[in-house]
Amino acid sequence: MSSLLNIIVVGLLLGGIYGLVSMGLNLIFGVIRIVNFAQGELVMLGMYGAYVCYLFIGLDPYLSIFIVVPALFLFGVIMQRFILQPLQNEPMMQIFATFGLLLLLQNVVLAVTRGQGYTAPSKLSEFVISVGPLNISVVRLVALVAVTAAALFLSWFVKNTMAGKAIRAVTQDRRAARLMGINVELAFMLTFGAGAALAGLAGTLLAPIYTMSPQIGGNFIMAAFAVVVLGGLGSVWGAYIGGFIIGLIEAFAGYYLDPALKTAIWFLVFIGVLIVKPGGLFGIAGAEEVGLREQN
Amino acid sequence: MSKTDTMSGVTSTRDEGGAVPPGITTFNTELLRIAGIAVALLAVTWVYSGDPFILNIMAQTFLFAAVSLSWNIIGGFGGQFSLGHGVFFAIGAYTTANLYINWQISPWLALIPAAILAALVAVAVSWPTFRLRGPFFSIATIALNEVAFVLANYFGSITGGPRGLTIPFKAGLENMIFTSRFHSVLLMLGFLVVCLIVCAWVFRSRLGYYLQALHLDEDAARATGIRVLQVKLVGMAISAALTGIGGALFAMYLRFIDPPTLLSLPDIGVKFALIALIGGVGTLYGPLAGALLIVPLESQLRAGLSASVPGANLIVLGAILILFALFMKKGIVGLVMQLWDRFGRKSQ
Repeated sequence: MSSLLNIIVVGLLLGGIYGLVSMGLNLIFGVIRIVNFAQGELVMLGMYGAYVCYLFIGLDPYLSIFIVVPALFLFGVIMQRFILQPLQNEPMMQIFATFGLLLLLQNVVLAVTRGQGYTAPSKLSEFVISVGPLNISVVRLVALVAVTAAALFLSWFVKNTMAGKAIRAVTQDRRAARLMGINVELAFMLTFGAGAALAGLAGTLLAPIYTMSPQIGGNFIMAAFAVVVLGGLGSVWGAYIGGFIIGLIEAFAGYYLDPALKTAIWFLVFIGVLIVKPGGLFGIAGAEEVGLREQN
Repeated sequence: MSKTDTMSGVTSTRDEGGAVPPGITTFNTELLRIAGIAVALLAVTWVYSGDPFILNIMAQTFLFAAVSLSWNIIGGFGGQFSLGHGVFFAIGAYTTANLYINWQISPWLALIPAAILAALVAVAVSWPTFRLRGPFFSIATIALNEVAFVLANYFGSITGGPRGLTIPFKAGLENMIFTSRFHSVLLMLGFLVVCLIVCAWVFRSRLGYYLQALHLDEDAARATGIRVLQVKLVGMAISAALTGIGGALFAMYLRFIDPPTLLSLPDIGVKFALIALIGGVGTLYGPLAGALLIVPLESQLRAGLSASVPGANLIVLGAILILFALFMKKGIVGLVMQLWDRFGRKSQ
């Protein structure tokens, strides 16, 4: 019983991390319909950003959020404006360009750091909450709280603010949104910036948990894609719950089968969902095809 | 040097069809062009036949050109942007290596099961994933590649696991292992020519037109009576079979294979697609042009720069990708044709 409980807790904490990483990808994917292969690298940049803040100003990773997140927002806006906006209606070229960015970012960081692993320690890293037989690492719990807060904030934002409504309008129909006087390009730039900022947030919160390497983004990106497809394209709560589903699957597969096979298990679930419900568990039916309609 | 020579080979063959608008050539015309390209590449190989370093680059260039051409059948003509062709490549490599190491079956014979197995797996995994369109299909194929990587590490009895498989050196034509690198390059060139011929045939066949039709508009293609799923599956099977053969040749050339060599995304699975895109996706000769540019460039960078700056070759590759996506969407072939339209036509 306690081992089952332990697996569930491990799975939920892992799910919080996956949900956090997926949140930005889902926003970009859902609104702009861009498959951003470089999203994992944005998380990686966030982690290294936290490390740089720690190294030069001795900042705790949790405080460096206030530097890293705006920096990543800016980076995302620039990326969208100069690289992805010109490729708006060409999904293949987007894949091409974002994969180029992935290679570029990964290897620039590799060239700068020469592949050495770093961690950005936080004062919170040492704390562990013990509840009966369960040990809960505080830094992982923070990630779980953060993803919940981010999901709450995002769903409030898109429902209740003018900018959020504009983003939803653009998601539904670009042309109609443009005719209503919405600046589609600006909405995209802000959305991409927000997606990159969320990646930066994920990176800073993960910096105390994982040892950094330039390739670490690759560990998250597949999970994030699985979460996004599973949860439903463009659905904030879909990504949130999808994160927990993938986290729990990984925890159970790791305990009962073999940790080495976790990716294979994800894939089966992933493909199964794609076949049965291509729009994802919480997505709108047919959402997966809307993005491919010619939109101007 | 080799790059400029062969590039002009591509352009000059374009000249022959100058009177006819490109795109309405017959299979026979393409065969003539392919013969011209083969002779040009053979001549270049001959010139450098004494330099093992350059020969190594050429062997890899021809192999990647060939596999990228195979990718182009489903990825370019059919528009199904697969990033999981590394799986079929690995299947070919592991099949051939296992048959050769454990049963001493000549690699030449092993090419047949390698191709069939790759095609069967391709059809089996594509059946469900072809329901997905555009980026969703690409994501699923990437996931497939990741799963194959996990499985290749896990089933060590077939793949040697993370330690990989080493193919013993027994030189001989029947073993497809050559003491002279020149002969290996000739083998790769032969495979390249085979792939060019198959591609030209597909391009000018009913299958090729169906693929191009569903690439342009899948719903319209279905409405005109094309059996979309069946056409995609046949295209994928041909593409995967050739890719499997490519993997087999790769295994016999390197004589050492392990999961990272065969299933790395930037070095294998995605590179096939990127080479095609840089050359000109969906065009007949694009992947060849792309490989002639990218593979030697990357080898040079890897040899020259990576010692002082780790990952320098991939930094350059990444930058090239972004620049091509932004400014040269139709790739090298598109640029050449544009230049031809602007300057070549007037001088006639």
